[in-house]
Amino acid sequence: MTADRLDITSLVAGVVVIALGALLLLDRVGAVDIGFGALAPALVGTVGAILLASGLSRGAEQR
Amino acid sequence: MILRAAFVAAAAAGGAGIVLYALAWALVPAAGAEERARPVRRAADWRVAAGVALLALSGLLGLRELGVWFTDALVWPVVLATAGGALIWRQSAASGRGRTVAPHESSSAEAREDRRGRLPQLALGGTGAVPALRGRALGRTFTGVALVIAAGLAFLFLNGALGAVRDVVLGAIAVAVVLAVILAPWWWRLLSRLSEERAERIRSQERAEVAAHLHDSVLQTLALVQRRSHDPREVAGLARRQERELRTWLSGRPPARPSERVAAALEATAAEVEEAHRITVETVLVGDAPLDERGETVVAAAREALVNAAKFAGRDAPVSLYAELGDERMQVFVRDRGPGFDLSAVPADRRGVRDSIVGRMERRGGRAVIHAGETGSTGTEVELLFERRNGR
Repeated sequence: MTADRLDITSLVAGVVVIALGALLLLDRVGAVDIGFGALAPALVGTVGAILLASGLSRGAEQR
Repeated sequence: MILRAAFVAAAAAGGAGIVLYALAWALVPAAGAEERARPVRRAADWRVAAGVALLALSGLLGLRELGVWFTDALVWPVVLATAGGALIWRQSAASGRGRTVAPHESSSAEAREDRRGRLPQLALGGTGAVPALRGRALGRTFTGVALVIAAGLAFLFLNGALGAVRDVVLGAIAVAVVLAVILAPWWWRLLSRLSEERAERIRSQERAEVAAHLHDSVLQTLALVQRRSHDPREVAGLARRQERELRTWLSGRPPARPSERVAAALEATAAEVEEAHRITVETVLVGDAPLDERGETVVAAAREALVNAAKFAGRDAPVSLYAELGDERMQVFVRDRGPGFDLSAVPADRRGVRDSIVGRMERRGGRAVIHAGETGSTGTEVELLFERRNGR
């Protein structure tokens, strides 16, 4: 990978993990109350977004 | 448009329409848009499919948590059925495209797709289908069917309607087990008989193949030998040719490729010189190499040396051809037991040895050495050598 090339997978992974961390931090400080019912979709969505970004970026590289 | 309207209505009613639309978008190719579908197909590897599925699941769980939900008994079976239906639909569309490919193009097109590791445009049961691609297509179809069946069963189970079905299924299983126990001996015997018949058929085919080969080669040669028994040299040539062919056939080696491999080309050359000049060439070849420019050169030089030996060594003196062949080094010796000669005494206008052997080898970076008329020895030995140096 060259230095000036944007890695979409890393970017998406970073953004969604930061969002998840922010959510957990808000829960920790008591700003929001997140139970398993709300955390499960967030975790599943995080993994899904990373996989989707990885697959799409690989497809774009193959083209 | 109608489908999209239905999805919008479903989204407004419970939110599930959004998820179903996302699943269908990921799994179903756009109809009649081959060029637009190609990049999507290329990108749609398992990561994209898993990512879309997980995002859809995340959306569903989120909607469920927010209370925008029908009931579990309805939504989950519908989601499963949508995923299975989309897989079946996708495979069906790929089959339709596969049938439009011309028969002479289908095989190569599929092979190209396979080499690139992309999802195939495959017709189920298509005649030229690559087995791996067919297996993948079958797997997709069966997964789709299994998902739809699972959706139906889950719907029945969650709505308490599976009790009656369960009784029917249990009855069917019991009948199947009873029938299997009763019919097992006959079934087993039938399988054994089929296996024996298959083995017998294979043996009979092999016998027929050997008989056909013997008829085409040995019997024909024997008939020729009888007809030409007055000419011992001709008979010897026929016998040698037949021996060579039979040895090749018995060794199970693949058919010779004189246009591709140096060893096969040298063998063909020796046979050709034997036939043309009625001599015997004892050929020993060790190793092999591809017939590139150097290979062609060494074969041509060896042919010239063999022809010279046939011309000047006399018909009764055997000529031997010995070669060690490899990618890095090729060395060929042609020996005869004739009177020998002095290369420096050969007139300048006779160019056979100088040009066709020595010059030809040197032009390609090789070497040819003639050992002839040396003290205490008879005959001539032509040594041809190619060595690969510094990657050349």
